[in-house]
Amino acid sequence: MKRFIARNAPGYLFLLPWFLGFFLLALGPILASLYLSFTRYDMVNAPRWIGFDNYTYMFTRDRRFWKALEVTFHYVALSVPARLIMALGVAMLLDKGLRSIGVYRAIFYLPSLLGASIAIAILWRQLFDANGVVNQTLGYFGIAGPDWLTNPDTSLYTLVILAMWQFGSPMLIFLAGLRGIPRDLYEAAEIDGTPRWRQFTRITLPLLAPVIFFNLVLQTIEAFKTFSSAFIISNGSGAPADSLLFYTVYLFNEAFKFFRMGYASALAWVLLIIIAVFTAIAFFTSKYWVHYENERD
Amino acid sequence: MACFTRRNFLHGAAATAALSGLASRPARASARTIRHFWWGNPERDRRTFEVIKAFQARHADIEVSGETIGWGDYWTKVATQTAGRNMPDLVQMDYRYLFEYVRRGALQPLDGFIGKSLMIGDFDKAPLEGGMVDGKLYALNIGSNSQVMVYNSRIFQEAGIDVDVLDWSYEQFAQVCEKITAKSGGKMKGSDDLSLTIDMLESFVRQNGREFYDAEGNVQATVEDTTAFWQYWADLRKAGVVRDKGKTIVLSPPLSDTGIVTGETAMGQHWSNQLVGIQALMKDEIGAGMVPKMANGRPGQFIKPSMFLSLSRDSRDVEAAMLYMNDWVSDPQITAILGIERGIPCSPRVREALKPNLKPVEVLSVNFFDAIQGKVAPVPPPPPKGAGEVRDAFMRIGTDVVLDRTKPADAASMFIEEAASIIERAR
Repeated sequence: MKRFIARNAPGYLFLLPWFLGFFLLALGPILASLYLSFTRYDMVNAPRWIGFDNYTYMFTRDRRFWKALEVTFHYVALSVPARLIMALGVAMLLDKGLRSIGVYRAIFYLPSLLGASIAIAILWRQLFDANGVVNQTLGYFGIAGPDWLTNPDTSLYTLVILAMWQFGSPMLIFLAGLRGIPRDLYEAAEIDGTPRWRQFTRITLPLLAPVIFFNLVLQTIEAFKTFSSAFIISNGSGAPADSLLFYTVYLFNEAFKFFRMGYASALAWVLLIIIAVFTAIAFFTSKYWVHYENERD
Repeated sequence: MACFTRRNFLHGAAATAALSGLASRPARASARTIRHFWWGNPERDRRTFEVIKAFQARHADIEVSGETIGWGDYWTKVATQTAGRNMPDLVQMDYRYLFEYVRRGALQPLDGFIGKSLMIGDFDKAPLEGGMVDGKLYALNIGSNSQVMVYNSRIFQEAGIDVDVLDWSYEQFAQVCEKITAKSGGKMKGSDDLSLTIDMLESFVRQNGREFYDAEGNVQATVEDTTAFWQYWADLRKAGVVRDKGKTIVLSPPLSDTGIVTGETAMGQHWSNQLVGIQALMKDEIGAGMVPKMANGRPGQFIKPSMFLSLSRDSRDVEAAMLYMNDWVSDPQITAILGIERGIPCSPRVREALKPNLKPVEVLSVNFFDAIQGKVAPVPPPPPKGAGEVRDAFMRIGTDVVLDRTKPADAASMFIEEAASIIERAR
């Protein structure tokens, strides 16, 4: 016990601000929302207990709930790999030992700082507008681009591209991971005449697996929670034709547009369970593909 | 790069606080504050802030904080404030949402103030009654309103259009669209595509002899009504005489993005109190016509008590709020600033005082209003709880029709079914 404290005390000390925030600010509202999810609550009159009605309605009658799930899963499936590949690619380029690497790192990280902001969502809307920069550029090559954002077939992809562009934080983590791979392994491979691609698949990927795993879990959770960009680009409604009806956008509208706080709370808990399940799957499968160097420590 | 010193930080913090309206203005040592929130456009905002200035000049002890936002975001924000028990003292109300807010207990009745602090004894009775729910006055009419087909009179003249826009049919409307599109070689379309404008469907249903919602709040519009409506616009779309569908499916655009203002179309559907705002954004002079009619000649539009001022449940200084509200509708200086931008005032005294100073576009509004008297349908029953959500569903399902992904008939049955279930669930 004493040893445990001695070893972990600094860690918990650093966690303290988070713990304080969680227990003092977040826990109460979270428990309240669990209670509200079993009620009908229009935010003005007192909540009325209705048991599991919200949940049964959601799964049996609410077509938009399923549509929101479809859009969100589609987005997660596309944007997470896209962002991770982008992040790893850039991290490997930066790992080449460039001069003034700090500057590049800052430049590449910038979009992630800006990415979640309202301004970027608005910028994105203008870029992909029918007469926006993207279509003008395509126009130079004689290609007539579609109305990216108002066409339900393409609108989601513009958000995937936005997600890809915000590769900064996984990139930094990858970069740190790449730095941790012993150089002599590559030197040995070089001497043996191993081609670059095999060096990548046999050295880089396996040794980076814990970092990839970490990024995968974090980015998946992040992607499920995507809200502001979808909200801005779809004018808050999930339009066109519900093609941008992200789960969180639907939840927000149910809560703040249609006054169904109880139902929205139920939606929030279902989202929590979905994210928990995906994280659990990642953890359970991780033992088959993630190996830690110091496992037998 | 400047260093992040403490002084810099304090400056930044002060600026942030001022921006978010938290900083108390040192120039005014006022103890009483009231908040007034409205949906607006640049012209309306300018006038309203001028009113606030005039009011404060007179009541040095009251500070009025004006908040404004576009229609599209207004209701989300009011709903959030309602939930947070942080509603502004005075909120601008719309006929469509009034009943929902009253039934949720978010507004206070005004009956107790009439004759004491609210002098509205000589106001027109009919427009005032529009603000009553369950026999009590919850919303003070600050302008009446009606649907209007706005047109660009220069384009109309150049295309040689001589149809009577106060009494025209849907066929004639379509012909005008064709003529204008042909005349400009397709560069200018006849009209906005109004497939996603539920007011147009409501008029259409009324012309078929029904109301969208009956007196009990049930959906009375039929699948046939909706199919015919969407088919009419689908035909115009196919003929290429209405605005591009990519623009059509942008929901609730600001006035500056509507076809008539951008010069992409010669016509659009608006509400009569938007005429001043539209004209302010345009060089060409605009004209005003009525909603087209069917063969049976029944009127589609009605005179709607459009904009209201309501006292919220969360008002902390009711007395100051009522002082402001009363000046708003009866004070000569303040009503002169407001003019008829929000609609036609229901105080005969105010109307009389305004007349000599009206701008041409305001004369257009007043004349339009005079011209349609007696040619409109009676005010429909109040929309039920959930009507706002039905409007959303209409635009969402209609988008698929505009994009040609669903046939009008299929979409119509889907919409009517969903509308009924929304109303059912909201009960």
